Amino acid sequence: MSLKNCYNFEDFRNLARNKLPSPIFHYIDGGSDDEVTLKRNTSAFDECDLVPNILASVGTPDLSTTVFGRKIDMPIFLSPTAMQRLYHPDGDKASAKAAAKFGTFYSMSTMANNSIEEIANISSGPKLFQLYVHKDKSITDDLIERCKRSNFDGMCLTVDTLVAGNRERDHRTGFTTPPKLTLNSLINFAIKPKWVFNYLINKKFELSNVVKKTDKGTNITKSVIEYINEQYDPSMNWKDAEYCVKKWGGPFALKGVMSVEDAKRAVDIGCTAIMISNHGGRQLDGSRSPFDQVKAISDAVGDKLEIILDGGIRRGTHVLKALAAGAKACSFGKMFLFSLGAGGQQGVEHLLKIMHDEIYRNMVLMGCKNLDELNSKKIIYRK
Amino acid sequence: MRLKDCHNFNDFRKLAKKKLPSPIFHYIDGAADDEITYGRNTSSFNDVDLVPNVLRGVEDIDLSTTIFGKKIDLPFYCSPTALQRLFHYDGERAVGKAAQKFNTMFGVSALATVSVEEISSIIDTPKMFQFYFHKDRGLNDSCLERAKAAKFDVMALTVDTITGGNRERDLRTGFTSPPKLTLSSLFSFATKPMWGINYLTKGKFELPHLQDYVKEGTSTNTSIGNYFSTMLDQSMNWNDAEKLCSQWGGHFALKGVMSVDDAKRAVDIGCTGIMVSNHGGRQLDGSRSPFDQLAEIVDAVGDKLDIICEGGFQRGTHMLKALSLGAKACAGGRLYLYALAAAGQAGVERALGQYKAELERDMKLMGCKKISDLNRNNLRFRS
Repeated sequence: MSLKNCYNFEDFRNLARNKLPSPIFHYIDGGSDDEVTLKRNTSAFDECDLVPNILASVGTPDLSTTVFGRKIDMPIFLSPTAMQRLYHPDGDKASAKAAAKFGTFYSMSTMANNSIEEIANISSGPKLFQLYVHKDKSITDDLIERCKRSNFDGMCLTVDTLVAGNRERDHRTGFTTPPKLTLNSLINFAIKPKWVFNYLINKKFELSNVVKKTDKGTNITKSVIEYINEQYDPSMNWKDAEYCVKKWGGPFALKGVMSVEDAKRAVDIGCTAIMISNHGGRQLDGSRSPFDQVKAISDAVGDKLEIILDGGIRRGTHVLKALAAGAKACSFGKMFLFSLGAGGQQGVEHLLKIMHDEIYRNMVLMGCKNLDELNSKKIIYRK
Repeated sequence: MRLKDCHNFNDFRKLAKKKLPSPIFHYIDGAADDEITYGRNTSSFNDVDLVPNVLRGVEDIDLSTTIFGKKIDLPFYCSPTALQRLFHYDGERAVGKAAQKFNTMFGVSALATVSVEEISSIIDTPKMFQFYFHKDRGLNDSCLERAKAAKFDVMALTVDTITGGNRERDLRTGFTSPPKLTLSSLFSFATKPMWGINYLTKGKFELPHLQDYVKEGTSTNTSIGNYFSTMLDQSMNWNDAEKLCSQWGGHFALKGVMSVDDAKRAVDIGCTGIMVSNHGGRQLDGSRSPFDQLAEIVDAVGDKLDIICEGGFQRGTHMLKALSLGAKACAGGRLYLYALAAAGQAGVERALGQYKAELERDMKLMGCKKISDLNRNNLRFRS
């Protein structure tokens, strides 16, 4: 199996599974508890049907939209995800370059393995930085300042990860970062020698953005769970968020908003966007899916800020449904991580091309000339 | 597989399956008829989604609640279940001590294998005695008097078991109490020699609350269904329940109430609580799940008595959903029985500790600091 055989999410997932040591594959693939929310994030789209209009002289549909003050060529972008060098030696460099090539956002996680400056140097495309509020406030301030200097376009604050979710696959595989070799996991790494070779010959694995500030960033073997629970501030509240909005001073989103009430408060503190997300089903299992909740939120605040739907996207039609229900754009993590694991920058580009083509084709089939024409009349919910 | 590999309900179940002779495992694991209600008890939680609120500053979580006038540290407790020494030689001693460690309620069954006197000599935390209304009034009086003398806090009268449910797995495995060796069950006992050795060497198996009154309390092998059908008084009515309630004179609950009408009558006869329960799907198959029925009952009598939702809980998020609907606490049998079978007191402690950790984490992710912060605004039912 190779990249050219990858036509959809499942194909990328299978190829990534072939290439990655199993603890790493399952770190991407898994969700929390019973993974009920993880599954629902995607299956929710199937309870809503598209209703096309015919003979609409669509010509060449315009897929562009504007989020975080930047015009992007299609209504999808890459969600911020941690530690991309686990999946491919080029890590964030690969995904940033691929996103720029397709004229859309690349997002950098606080826990990236490449630094803010490094990525700013290689990509002039749209860039979003994802912030965690650390217990040590100087880490948070430092990250915001550096993003400003490096001309990032937008900032998002993750609000659904005050405590790490119960990712049981990681308990079973013994996933840690950096990867730790235990007797248990040894075999999983030994059967993927190419991954191990790449991991060892490339630059040292580190959390580049926080490396100078915490010793947890580098050589202490910690599970992600432990890092989150030790470093992130569980007392974070609306004042802290407002502080970050002001300090940044540009387009700002809360990532992980699920209730209408919180979406309204996001408007009040000056956010220009929200990302409706349950962290890819990796945090609170049993949580509502973004697609199930997007309409209610859009009805309440859709005219006051940009609504990004994050989670469960596997297909161009999912994007169309999300936009018809009120989202301005969609973002995804798992899907592009599998493509990154499957083939680095080339893999991510291959995925973005497929997604672009699916959205384009389906816009034509729907009879829509531009994204504004995707409104609530274009979908019907099954009861 | 060992105790440290148990991360959730299903892991404990698997380990229990390895340790128990199959008739005993299936006695716990099975339910009535086609086990439709048994399955629904858990799957009903998946028809409702949690909607978290963010940025609430949730460093410290208080999981305590007050039921039957007693403050307990957790919003869930161990339901009374029969015959625990069949599952582990320490039986009720192990479960009682584990419940005490977490300061939650421990329910002792009339068909317990350790006496109320012994239980109250080893734990001083809240205790419930579960009572079956027998034809033999002397036995009934004796149970009440002994539980009163042993300073039990709550009396729970089971009202859903005037006849035995059709537990077909028990018919197939030939399960009886005490276990009887038949040609067909011999093999399953022979393959679990540790269980057999413990059963034969760790003290005689008996039913101390019954043994002075019925031959089934001692050495006669009987099926549980047969016991219920022959020993319990099927003419039991509201007058009998009211008399028992006043004879007990303290906190009194009906266990197995499913209709709003009955919940109202429970208030009228002086009950201070009800367990909304279908006996873990072990009695009337096709019966509604406790969670599906909870809202109606809370709306009708939630301000007049303590409503306990019992059955189907396998996760902290399941409990959050029931508490959000208005249950005062959650309870379960299999919740801890597999863990008991897996590793005795240490197993039950690990299970209770995991549910507690899940609840703490899930409360943080929900943006709730105390149980009373949970309400129906947290929930969206899928239509």
